[in-house]
Amino acid sequence: MESGFFRKLPSAIPGLALIIITLVIIRGYPGMDIAGFKGIEPWMAKTKVFGMQKPLTDAFHLNYILLGILAGLLYRNVIFGGKIPAIFSDGFKLSRLMIKTGIILLGSLYTVQAIVQLGSFAIFLIGGFVLLSIVMVLWLGKVFGIDRSMTGVLANALSICGVSAAVATSPAVEAKAAHVAYAIATILGFGILTMFISPFIGHSLGLTDLQYGAWIGTGILNSGQVLAAALAFNPKVEPGSAVSVAEIWNIMRVISIPFAVFIVTVWYWTGKEAQESKSTRKGLGTLLVEKFPVFVIGFAAMVLLTSLGAFGDVGIKGGPAASDTIIKLRLWMTWIFGFGLVGLGGYIDFKEISQAGGAPLKLGLIVGITKYVLALIVVLMIRDYLVAI
Amino acid sequence: MERIVVAVDGSSASQEALNHAINLARQNHAALTGVFIIDGGWPDYIGNDWQSSQGARQGFLDHIQEEQEQQAQTARQQFEKAVNGMPSVKFSLEAGDPIDTIVKIACEKSTDLLVLSRRVFQISGRPSLKLLGEKLAKKATRPFLLFP
Repeated sequence: MESGFFRKLPSAIPGLALIIITLVIIRGYPGMDIAGFKGIEPWMAKTKVFGMQKPLTDAFHLNYILLGILAGLLYRNVIFGGKIPAIFSDGFKLSRLMIKTGIILLGSLYTVQAIVQLGSFAIFLIGGFVLLSIVMVLWLGKVFGIDRSMTGVLANALSICGVSAAVATSPAVEAKAAHVAYAIATILGFGILTMFISPFIGHSLGLTDLQYGAWIGTGILNSGQVLAAALAFNPKVEPGSAVSVAEIWNIMRVISIPFAVFIVTVWYWTGKEAQESKSTRKGLGTLLVEKFPVFVIGFAAMVLLTSLGAFGDVGIKGGPAASDTIIKLRLWMTWIFGFGLVGLGGYIDFKEISQAGGAPLKLGLIVGITKYVLALIVVLMIRDYLVAI
Repeated sequence: MERIVVAVDGSSASQEALNHAINLARQNHAALTGVFIIDGGWPDYIGNDWQSSQGARQGFLDHIQEEQEQQAQTARQQFEKAVNGMPSVKFSLEAGDPIDTIVKIACEKSTDLLVLSRRVFQISGRPSLKLLGEKLAKKATRPFLLFP
């Protein structure tokens, strides 16, 4: 259905160029000075409005991440009238690959020891929330009389990581295309809202990077939106920053996709004719091979290389300063994420999302808000037990 | 009127539009073309899905393709059953964005009348298809008849 990466590359150039130019205008770069203009973010950091020093960054917490997403949104929904034009389309599609690459590189923020410390706690919390959300959706699906296939898709989409989980679950529960579309529209709509309000809530409550990362890594549904919300709270990419915590939480959640697909598949096929069930249902082993997100292996390899000292010191608090290689790597990551998130904004179609509705939306909102608020309460309650890296 | 185009998806919503299109074609001795559109927008629609394994992603796209092909077959059967015995009839299978394709048909010179239900293709489509009527009203350059 889709052509290969290298065949697409030439046709991706206009879109890539548009995203890079957008990002340069937003962030600027060291030494940039075009008739006094040094980039929107540097301009915001110096601007006084009504006597207030830099209100756009301090009061609205606008940074290059949020501005990048807003630019992507603006391109698709306003400037291009609802659809990225064919000439830019392939470039915007590449943004997915950039985010995935960035996540793999994020592995350089952690050592194996840090992953074990943080991850073992995260897996406990994440596991609890995944199971709780699945049970809640399956129960509410029955209460609202929602189609069984659609309930199955919503259960994993609202429990694990949005679109990825919906995509992984749909064939296993025989979901109709329309079910998947409405589930995706519901979770993306909710996710966009949480992506923009979470940094405000986090700053208003005075959350630390550790608390905030743990909260959004658990409470926000979509992985791309977790990344965006973390970087919007604190754009620093370093050990202990919001993004480093949120991504460990997120990866623990993503790893649970095959297991959650298995659970929901077993639930779906319960009550079906035994013979039909046997011929169609896949085992956990097959699901692990088919559904395991491969980039997690790249992330793990990066953590291992970092632990072995392949890139020099990582700059953990109290330890030696980060090496030049690590510093450059982190700078590149900020650009890669910035690039990917402009693309993410370009994929958000407000008209599509606004058409979602009915019982699936109601169910999505109930479960999404419950999870979001409960995750915040839990993180505030267990603040002393969260392990910093 | 020489050519009438009717959008068919196998649902009861498109049956009403199809019946009217057949009556009009008979009254005007016009050719009738039934159209079903296989939605090619799914890879883009799941565009945010950057964390799925290749197997999961392709498995999903194959699953959707299979469903759409079955729907196309149902639409063809609905059309062929309804036009049984009529001269100058054709069933056309298109691929692409359903709204863009319908708007394109509604702007073709060879389309003397486009007949469709406001809910056509929603049976297996994306939420944006609810905007079909609105888009047609804005962009169509040829006459069209929109049913509930």
